[in-house]
Amino acid sequence: MKSPNKTAAYLFPCLVAAFYMFLYVPIIILIVSSFNASAYSYEWRGFSLTWYHQLWESVEVWEALRNSCIVATVSVVLSVILGLLFVIFSAGTWLDSLLLAFYGSLAAPEIVLAVGLLSFFTFFSVPLGLTTLIAGHTLIGLGYIVPLLHSRFHELNYALTEASLDLGADYRTTFFRIILPMLSPALVAGALLTFILSFDDFIISFFCTGGTTLTLPLYFFSVIRSGASPIINALSSIFLLVSSIVILLFSSLKIRKMDFF
Amino acid sequence: MKQWQAQNLLSQARSFFWAIPAVVWQILLLYIPLVFVLLHSFVDTESQFTLAHYAALFDATHFIILARSLALAATTAIICLIVAYPVAYFLSFYVSRLKNVLLFFLIIPFWTSLLVQLYAWFTILDKHGFLNIILQKLGILGEPYHLLNTPFAVYLVSIYCYIPFMIMPIYSILEKLDIRLREASLDLGATRWETFMRVTVPLSMPGIKTGFFLVFIPAFGEFVIPVLLGGGKQLYVGSLITHYFLVSRSSGLGAAFTWLSSMILIISTVVMQWLFVRVIMPRKTKRVGYEITK
Repeated sequence: MKSPNKTAAYLFPCLVAAFYMFLYVPIIILIVSSFNASAYSYEWRGFSLTWYHQLWESVEVWEALRNSCIVATVSVVLSVILGLLFVIFSAGTWLDSLLLAFYGSLAAPEIVLAVGLLSFFTFFSVPLGLTTLIAGHTLIGLGYIVPLLHSRFHELNYALTEASLDLGADYRTTFFRIILPMLSPALVAGALLTFILSFDDFIISFFCTGGTTLTLPLYFFSVIRSGASPIINALSSIFLLVSSIVILLFSSLKIRKMDFF
Repeated sequence: MKQWQAQNLLSQARSFFWAIPAVVWQILLLYIPLVFVLLHSFVDTESQFTLAHYAALFDATHFIILARSLALAATTAIICLIVAYPVAYFLSFYVSRLKNVLLFFLIIPFWTSLLVQLYAWFTILDKHGFLNIILQKLGILGEPYHLLNTPFAVYLVSIYCYIPFMIMPIYSILEKLDIRLREASLDLGATRWETFMRVTVPLSMPGIKTGFFLVFIPAFGEFVIPVLLGGGKQLYVGSLITHYFLVSRSSGLGAAFTWLSSMILIISTVVMQWLFVRVIMPRKTKRVGYEITK
């Protein structure tokens, strides 16, 4: 690389530093406020874990967390299984061209998907709740998992599959001993991504629960709407911590979210 | 060809029946519901065909709301592009040792709930928040100004939340860009600026395009940001759709509005696609091509 000229050498780092400040000043203030004894972030009354304690004691948060975990876990399991089945059994058949159908949920704005789901469920009088939420989140999850698995599956070295079959392994053994291990990074990545998407999703949850079920983002929304509470600072900090851990896990898999773009 | 056969072996093992559930899931919960919404928009409360819902949409309020959302989406996408490009450029060409750290800090907000990112701004934009305190200390503001519940807050936070979606695709293209092309351009006498405009930018167009639509499409239908930071006083497409479906329960009108705004979104996406392909791209690539052949 050629040595950058003077302006670029100074201007660029400054611009990028300013950008990172823009990105992180709000987050840092948020985290610091979560340890502030005062309910108002502009006055510092000393370090305290009051808000974390209140968060711990809150019944609603635990209920929301439980629901969010149930919905995210079930959607992940469903999308991984359905996605894997589709990718493996569609290869080389006419069904393979239906891959395009899975891009629809990525291309449309989420609110349109949410409206569609709501109209569909109300038309068939499906009671809104955890089940409808899981259905909606699996829809989103499949939209990410299927293209990811599809591209990984078709990048696999076919010689290994062939060798395994040539050497006398049956289809089941070949699948579990050869194909599944080679797909596992993509599977874990897709599962983590779906989990996070489901865990963070607001719009679909807002439409598909009909106010019956509380998930964490819905809890967040209702608290912010009814006048912010410092408990939310604590909850946000935990969210940030969790997503950093997930990213670290993710980067160790060498598969990034940007692979989807 | 051989690959096809090898992959095929597995699907011959059992029937392709097992591939169907995922497809059914998508069709049943995505495509059929969209048709439902369309049918719903043409039906009145007594299940009779009607165009009344669409007729009701043709008034100034609805067009103002559509225009407001289009303006928000376009402005957000353009500002994100202007800010994101230098950052992506810097990350891919000027950083080596700190690259992973910088990327890590870029991705955290990307992976965190939109509500967390949005909430982070509350303490800053609040009437007694940091921005007001700083502006007052600097003597710019006499008395605290309510920054929340203003279009300013909506625009600022939209840009904040969507910017990683612009940086990522541009960065991933720039990182893979063949550095020899830039070196050749510089060697052949082009200035740094010419190299940037005629080589780097045209080659990174796919990333710019992806980023633009990743920001534009969700920003157009955004619901949370306008409602929480705009105070719900100014309606945007997302908040109006939600209002029709969940508050006023006039789902026929809501369905019609959803389809109208989807159509407008599709048309504007196609127009921008055309702009990218026909107007911005060829001029520069042609020039590059011309100079290479010369």
